[in-house]
Amino acid sequence: MKPRFYWILKALLSHYWRHPWQTLFLSVGLVAGVGLWSAVQIINQHAEASYREAQSLLGAQASYWIRSRRDEGIEQALYIDLRRAGFRQLFPLVELEVSTPSGVSIRIIATDLLALPDDAYSDSDSPGDFSDTWVKFVQPPYRAWVPRVLADELGLKQGEQLRLRDGRLLPPALIQAREQQGRQVLIDIGAAMALSGSDRFSYLAVGPISPRDYQQLAATLPDHLELVENQQHIDLQELTESLHSHLTAMSLLSFAVGLFIVFNAVRFSLWYRRATLLDLRLMGCATHQLFSAILLETLVWSLLGTALGFALGILLAHALLPGLGASLQSLYSATVEAELGLSSMTLLQAWGITLLGLVWALGWPLYRQLQQSSLESGSSARQQQDEAIARRRLALAALVLALIAVLAYGRISSVTQGFMVLGLMLFAAAWMLPLLLAAGLRLAAWLVPRERLTMRWMVSDGWSQMPAFRSAMMALLLALTANLGVGTLVDSFRNAFVGWLEVRQSADIYLRAPRLDIQQLKASPSTASWLVDSHHRIGITTRWRGRPTLVRGIEPDAPDSLALPLSRWQGDTPAAALQAWREQAGKVLVNEQVHFLAGIEPGDRVSLETDNGLQEYEVAGVFYDYGNPYFQFYLPDRVVASNWQHHYSRGIALWLNHDNSAAMQQAEAVLKELGAQPGDWISQAQVRKLSVGIFDRTFAITAAMNALTMIVAAIALLASLLAILQERLPQFAQWRALGLRQGEQLLLVATPLLIFCAIAWLLSIPLGALLSWVLIYKLNIISFGWSMPLLWEFMPALQLAGVVIVICGLTLLLVSFQWRRKMPQALAQLGETV
Amino acid sequence: MLSIKQLSKSYQYADVRQNVLQGLDFEMDAESSIALLGESGSGKSTLLHLIAGLDRPDSGEIRFDGRRVDSEPESALAEMRREQLSLVFQQFHLISTLTITDNIRFQAALCQRFDPQYEGELIERLGLGDQLDKYPYQLSRGQQQRVAIARAMLHKPRLVLADEPTGNLDEASSLEVMGLFSDLVKRAGSGLLMVTHSQAMAAFMDRRVNLHNGRLAEIE
Repeated sequence: MKPRFYWILKALLSHYWRHPWQTLFLSVGLVAGVGLWSAVQIINQHAEASYREAQSLLGAQASYWIRSRRDEGIEQALYIDLRRAGFRQLFPLVELEVSTPSGVSIRIIATDLLALPDDAYSDSDSPGDFSDTWVKFVQPPYRAWVPRVLADELGLKQGEQLRLRDGRLLPPALIQAREQQGRQVLIDIGAAMALSGSDRFSYLAVGPISPRDYQQLAATLPDHLELVENQQHIDLQELTESLHSHLTAMSLLSFAVGLFIVFNAVRFSLWYRRATLLDLRLMGCATHQLFSAILLETLVWSLLGTALGFALGILLAHALLPGLGASLQSLYSATVEAELGLSSMTLLQAWGITLLGLVWALGWPLYRQLQQSSLESGSSARQQQDEAIARRRLALAALVLALIAVLAYGRISSVTQGFMVLGLMLFAAAWMLPLLLAAGLRLAAWLVPRERLTMRWMVSDGWSQMPAFRSAMMALLLALTANLGVGTLVDSFRNAFVGWLEVRQSADIYLRAPRLDIQQLKASPSTASWLVDSHHRIGITTRWRGRPTLVRGIEPDAPDSLALPLSRWQGDTPAAALQAWREQAGKVLVNEQVHFLAGIEPGDRVSLETDNGLQEYEVAGVFYDYGNPYFQFYLPDRVVASNWQHHYSRGIALWLNHDNSAAMQQAEAVLKELGAQPGDWISQAQVRKLSVGIFDRTFAITAAMNALTMIVAAIALLASLLAILQERLPQFAQWRALGLRQGEQLLLVATPLLIFCAIAWLLSIPLGALLSWVLIYKLNIISFGWSMPLLWEFMPALQLAGVVIVICGLTLLLVSFQWRRKMPQALAQLGETV
Repeated sequence: MLSIKQLSKSYQYADVRQNVLQGLDFEMDAESSIALLGESGSGKSTLLHLIAGLDRPDSGEIRFDGRRVDSEPESALAEMRREQLSLVFQQFHLISTLTITDNIRFQAALCQRFDPQYEGELIERLGLGDQLDKYPYQLSRGQQQRVAIARAMLHKPRLVLADEPTGNLDEASSLEVMGLFSDLVKRAGSGLLMVTHSQAMAAFMDRRVNLHNGRLAEIE
């Protein structure tokens, strides 16, 4: 480094040593922004890697599956026959969903290790040497390979047997970090069959197979089995893409809020160094040299911010991953590995985005600073004038952004486009804010009576504070809007979801026991005292317009069929549409996903592939189907039974006699008597608890991000207040010398601050409502294919106002401590003589 | 050394254009010292900024050692300020985050003409020996002005431009600092063009000129 450049750099960087608070805030802004962004980035990339990994795990790496058309599982004898016939690519799988006494849902996957094709293992997993571990795995009492993250969650220790809700025990636990396993428990197929009490496999997986063998296999299979292509990984990517896009958008929003702190800090650091920059220019430093020095400084900050932010991102990702992983598994059966894998690309991206953010934050203020040509350019009048010009320019830019957002709104066709429009909208509001703050000050000045001189002074001092608060208020506005908008989305969803569960899950018990059918149950003489109603459900899984689809056959007179909540219907009323569906042949009900993603309206005709050829049905209504990633068609059970011979039972719903307090116990006793196993049924309360649990876990990450974003905004406020203190301390000292008390001085800062915060809060209310409206009625529909009623409540906004007041109070308290510490020195420097 | 011909400069204030300098002519020899007097707002500081290349004139020419200051690119003007000039202001313009030692050495380090022996001499003459590890805010204004003078003189510039260098000091201190300053300028073989309101300070200079109505007039 040339000595000249060294001295320029030394002069510029010495600022950070002398002003540690600014150094801290710049670091915090960068680290918080990068940390939040990279946490989600790490999670998303990790999830994608997991989906790829999942393809090499057991059944998921199969090219095809053999499964029962009636969901009855596959007989062992058939599997042995097929292996003997030369189909060595086949291996059996058993999948079980069990739960612990505390309600934690666990997915068990089991296979015959010896039957796995060679390429189903990674090197480290290979049983080729058949070590002691593998021998124990396949021989009684077997072993349950439990991923470490799940063991930690359950408090399970090495060798312990996990007790399930129905009292059964899993084999002794072998806890190890097997990345491919995600949260699944892996056991031997013999242990799984003993556990389930069934002698059938869930399905057979087919490893790599030649077209000739495929054709032979298809021809060999009996009618009740089907050979289907494994499209799990494609579906996983499709199904989870929207969720990951939402997370990315939220992380970008957090990054933007962090960037406002950076912008603030950078602006202050330049502002405080304007004298230094001027001195350097007076002493002959060329603009390009100063520019290069600040560029180098930016580079150093970006590296520092990336390194620390990325480290924070890893910590956050570790904290958020278990909840998100559990949700992905519950919602989409997508397995996300427990151990984080980090890619250098993510790190590079983090650095790139940090550098871009810093350049964005630094570019304009630096240009302005270096353009100042005369020594008077920093005068107060000039600053006020510049500030007014900047406000007008920002407002103009905001109008342009808003116009682009409005024009682009109608053309949104993807989640990414949707978030870009939302971004434009939010930035338009943020850039409009300074003009509104100025208008607010004018209004406040107009409202204060002329004789209240002190109050008028406090309001008018806002003009001096506005430049320092501008960026912080923008950050606060974004944070408040995000909190209100996303909070409203989640509250609306929760409210709709719980209400929907009330109607849709109105039966008291849901029974899925292959050995038990509804006729047996109805024939049982001991049901009279506790059973009010019972209805069976049948169905088939298929693909319609390239998407996984369920065709369900439900009894039209079942209580939940009669009360099915419709969002759109044919005819005058939902009840009339449901009646038409029950009574007229050729009517179908479709879920919102079919309406929004495939563009089907009530009255349209849809064609479904049946055993009797292509059948057309007229859509009688569209029903709400929250959170379901699949298309669903509801037909009367008789229609499904007659058109799809290979339909399978999807269980029986039982409505109990609520006048009989012992109905539940009696029902369970009868079910056991009839041969159902514990775990074959689940009560309504358990279904709701599980569903709401999944819901809350899914949105826990949202709440965490909202809280972090508010913290970042609070830091921006504190940074601004401290900057004001530092900048105006001599002025405050003069006022103190004139007799102003500390409380009055604090009020002088607090009054404009509260006015600004109130304006930001007021603006965030319609903006938050707009954000939630776009999220629910545009992005949710594009992403997931369903909508819900928007539930707007004023209470969250009031709570946020409370949070803002607390933040203001705390920051003012911190500032008053600083004041108390620094004021004596500032007073001592007043009227200093030589 | 310095030659100014037909120099004009005006500023726009709201709707009014104010002519500050109007066809000003001025000559200054090497190693001479000149006091620039005039009423407040007469354009003294503007003239100094134009000579230093910190601002551009509307018309006319400024030559410093033969080079056209009024039309040189910014980078050349920066080099000129670094190598040939020094500026001393009433407000000191010290870098608040650097120590006194670093402040004194700064410009000499920039133009790579740092002479440790001369530095020691300056520090001793200006009485700054006990202040070297302190920061500017820990010094009195008189001491800060001495630091600014040390910084301005350490690289022995061709011309020193000073704008009310003692304006912040009391009379006794002003006279003491000015005596030291003019002596240092003479010993370094530099020229000095100093804006001042004070006849007492002007008395230290070889020549005195008055700026009035945008033009300069020699004071006998």
